[in-house]
Amino acid sequence: MKKLTQRQIFDYLFNNGIENFVGVPDSTMKYFIDQGLKRKKILITTREEEAIGIASGFALSKSNSLVFMQNAGFANSISTITSLVQLYEIPLVFFIGWRGYLKKDAPEHMKIGKIQPNLLKILDLPSKIITDKNWKVSCNWALKKLANHESSALIIRRLFCD
Amino acid sequence: MIRKEAIRLISKKIAGDVIVSANGYISRDLFEVNDKPTNFYMIGSMGLASSIGLGLALQNPKKMIYVFDGDGNILMNLGSLTTISKLKPKNFIHIIFDNSSHESTGGQPTSTNKISIDAIAKAVNFKVFRCNSKNNLDETFKKIRNIAGPIIILMKISKSEKISGRVLLPPKKIKSRFMKSF
Repeated sequence: MKKLTQRQIFDYLFNNGIENFVGVPDSTMKYFIDQGLKRKKILITTREEEAIGIASGFALSKSNSLVFMQNAGFANSISTITSLVQLYEIPLVFFIGWRGYLKKDAPEHMKIGKIQPNLLKILDLPSKIITDKNWKVSCNWALKKLANHESSALIIRRLFCD
Repeated sequence: MIRKEAIRLISKKIAGDVIVSANGYISRDLFEVNDKPTNFYMIGSMGLASSIGLGLALQNPKKMIYVFDGDGNILMNLGSLTTISKLKPKNFIHIIFDNSSHESTGGQPTSTNKISIDAIAKAVNFKVFRCNSKNNLDETFKKIRNIAGPIIILMKISKSEKISGRVLLPPKKIKSRFMKSF
C-alpha cells in the first residue's frame, strides 16, 4: 500500500473516533504507525496479547481502540480473541498486516499467510482487505461495526518482498 | 495466610475502587468474599490482568485501579511490567498473590521461589512492597496512601485447602455492570 494512503488511513480513523492505537509494529504498515507516532497517538507493547489487553481496558472505559499487528502476532492472539474480546463482547478494530500473501515471501511467513483467511473465518471475526482504492469504505465499515459494539479486522496485504 | 483471606482483607481496604482480578482462583475468591460491580472478573485470557488494568488506569486517571494477579499470571506477561513502567500511571496498584504455584491447575510449581519478582519489579522502577501478614498489609496500605504509582505489592500466601466456587455471572453481565459502575 502507498505511503500516502497509510497516513490517510491513520488520520481518517483518528478523526472519526478511534482514540487509542495499541500494538506491535509491522513493516507492512510502517507509514500508518509513523503517522500515529507523529501525532503521539501510538502505544507500542511487548506482545500482541498485551496490546489487546490494554485496548480492552480502554474499551471498558468507553474509549474506541484499534490494535495493530503482523499476522504472526494475530496467530499469537487467538486465545485472547476467543477468551477476552469475544467472551465479553469487547468491541475493537484489529489492523493486521498480511505477510505470506504473495507466493514469494520470506519462509517464516508462508504458512500463517496461507491459513490466515481461514483463521479469520473460523474465529467469526469479520474482516475486509483494505486497499489504496477502498480504504475509506473499509474504514467506514469498521467504524460502523464499532458503533454497533462489534469487533472487526482490516487486513493490509504485503505486496512486495524485500 | 491463604489467598482468600488476603483477598478479603485487601478488598475491604479498597472499598469503591476498581479491581481487575486474574482468571482462576483469584477471581473466584474475590467473587465469594466481596462481589461488587467495580470488580472485573477475568475468566480467561491468563496473564492479561495487568494489561487490562493499565488501559483502565490510563483512561481513568482520577480513579485508583487495583490489579489482583497471581505469580503464574504475571510470569506469563512480564513484558507488561516494562510497558506499565514506561507509562508511569500514578493510579496503578498491582497486587501479586504469590504462592509459587499454579494453584488453579493443581498446584504445579512456578519459578517464584527461585527468582525474585521484587527485584524484577524494582529494576523496571515500580515501588515495591512485600507482605506476608495482616500487620504488614495494614502498614503497607497506610504507606501507599501518600505514594504515587505504579506500585507492586508482593503478597506471599500459602496454598489453600478449600476451593471457592466459580464466578456465577455471565461474562457479558460482568462487563455491563462493570462499565456502568464507574
